[in-house]
Amino acid sequence: MSAGKILVVDDDPQIRRVMKATLVGHHYEVIEARTGEEALEKTPLEMPNLVLLDMNMPGMGGLETCRELRARSDIPVIILSVRNSEKDKVAALDAGADDYVTKPFSIEELLARIRAALRRTSPEGGPQAFHSEDLEIDFQSRRVHAHGKDVRLTPKEFELLRCLVAHAGKPVTHRELLQAVWGPDYGDEPEYLRVFVNQLRKKIEANPAKPKYIVTEPWVGYRFAGATEG
Amino acid sequence: MKVLRFAASMAIIAAILLLYHTALTVNNTTVALTLLLAVLGISARWGLAEATVASVAAALGFNVLFLPPIGTLTIQDPQNWIALGAFLVTAVTASQLSARARRRAAEAEARRGEIERLYALVQSMMLSGNARKTIREFVHTVVQVFGCRAAAMYYRPTGEFFRSGPESSVVTDHELLTAAEIEGVIVDAERELALAPVRLGLRPLGSMTMVGRLPSEQMVGAIVNLISLTIERARAIDEASQAEAARQSHLLKTALLDSLAHDIKTPLTSIKAAVTSLLGNSAASEHELLTIIDEETDRLNRLAAEVIEMARVEAGKLHLEKRPVAVHELIVGALAELPAAIQSGLVRVDVPDDLPAAEADHDFALQVIKHFLENALKYGAEGSPIDISAHLNGGKIVIGVVDRGPGIEENERARIFEKFYRGRRHRFDTKGTGMGLAIAKGIVEAHGERIWVESEPNQGSAFYFTLAVGPGDGAE
Repeated sequence: MSAGKILVVDDDPQIRRVMKATLVGHHYEVIEARTGEEALEKTPLEMPNLVLLDMNMPGMGGLETCRELRARSDIPVIILSVRNSEKDKVAALDAGADDYVTKPFSIEELLARIRAALRRTSPEGGPQAFHSEDLEIDFQSRRVHAHGKDVRLTPKEFELLRCLVAHAGKPVTHRELLQAVWGPDYGDEPEYLRVFVNQLRKKIEANPAKPKYIVTEPWVGYRFAGATEG
Repeated sequence: MKVLRFAASMAIIAAILLLYHTALTVNNTTVALTLLLAVLGISARWGLAEATVASVAAALGFNVLFLPPIGTLTIQDPQNWIALGAFLVTAVTASQLSARARRRAAEAEARRGEIERLYALVQSMMLSGNARKTIREFVHTVVQVFGCRAAAMYYRPTGEFFRSGPESSVVTDHELLTAAEIEGVIVDAERELALAPVRLGLRPLGSMTMVGRLPSEQMVGAIVNLISLTIERARAIDEASQAEAARQSHLLKTALLDSLAHDIKTPLTSIKAAVTSLLGNSAASEHELLTIIDEETDRLNRLAAEVIEMARVEAGKLHLEKRPVAVHELIVGALAELPAAIQSGLVRVDVPDDLPAAEADHDFALQVIKHFLENALKYGAEGSPIDISAHLNGGKIVIGVVDRGPGIEENERARIFEKFYRGRRHRFDTKGTGMGLAIAKGIVEAHGERIWVESEPNQGSAFYFTLAVGPGDGAE
């Protein structure tokens, strides 16, 4: 039984080969694309569960491909790149990537990241819904309605929001948030939170510069301001 | 020419007199008015002398042929004196007026010619980024365009003299040097030369001379203004192209280093992925060998990263993106890149909660701490703790990493920041590239901050660097 279908996008044939051999060995179904353009063509046809996307490719490049993918679907995207600067990570996350892995990586690390990206927290035990005058969240149907409009959240954004709402009124530390949303191997990536919180604020806050719901707790983490119902 | 005009003037007067005397019979007033018109015409066309001769001839002829007693020069009626006077006054006044108009026209024509030449001069100046070449060309063009025999310029910034035409030596170097200091244009009509200082605003650029057919003084002023602007433009182009060249070269270096990093890391990625995959389900006998491949892949990767980083530091002008960063975040980030440091359980971090954010490039500052930590891990005594601290001192954030190693002897302390330098005792260690501290130094210096080491033999070493305090609170 397949653990999921993964689209590997990389211009280097050896990397595609080793990824295919390894991921198939871990029960994933693998399809390949050599360029961003090819990835965009294959995605709607193959409907992969996850995209592993090389950042540095000829043609449209990883970032642009990621933006295009994100504009069309909320399929999880992990960017693979030889650059490990914070700037590049933030750029990738801003482009809509769920995670960022620096090359070279050990296969264990990559597998953990893949599992984290594919993972969805089960709705049981968490909050069911949140209502206020300008924000409505239904965690069952994964629908968010802010300022009279339906808002589309990526799975990671949604998980982040769920974790914050579950602890409404209390600060949640960076580490707690990272581990709840990405998985137990995470905790030292405050830049992930910065990017995702910014994106969430843009989507649900009336004024993202002066957030009403997702409040920064300096040095600690973030807090959801507002009482839960249901 | 002149003689012809006199003859023509006389002929016109004679013709009029003859016409009225023989062919047409009109009264005397008509004759006088016709003659007056003729004198007026002659004075306007040719000038005073011709008009005077014509008016005297007209007066005499009129007197003899038309005024009673006819046939004599006697003037009976005093009215006829008035007629003669009128001829003369008309001749003089009209000729003066017309002469003035002609002179104006000639001046305007000359000015127009000069402006045309100046325009030709501007046109012929090529847009060049070389001040010296521009001056040489300019001096040469002035001679051609203004048709003078020679021209020369003294260019003060380089102390050079640019001469065009063999006669330019009429003006000595000394005269040009002196001219650069004076105000205004000097025209020496006797020696047929003009000297003028060349200035840009108040800044003296040198002086210029023209020999031979000289344009007007204003034109000499315009020419020196033009050359000062041309030189300035050449210098601006030169500076801009140099800055552009430096930028291009920096971009090229960065692009080359990026592509080198990519090209080295891509095969390492395949190797690492393959070997770690094999390690996952390997037999014990193979496990050891696969582990060696894995570790050496990491080592090669670190080595490549450091070589590229060193090249980047040495290429100069690290592109820093400074922003307020929390020092604690830098330390956590550096530790995250060194699993060995965390696993050792020996690293202690001491950062006060109220430490302000630092103003630094996040990634580069993190690298400095990482290199300090790597150094401490490498040289610290086995099993001894490593302390990372940060505190405020004299308006700067001081970040330090302290190990309990053998310490560094005094004569080696300055040299350990040199590239490839390894402590005497560690010369044959295979670990590391010997570039870590040199990279750290390059990064800290690019920030305009200080890096140093304090050490006590047999006690340990403490590496420090400073960062500026950020303008705002970078906490988030």
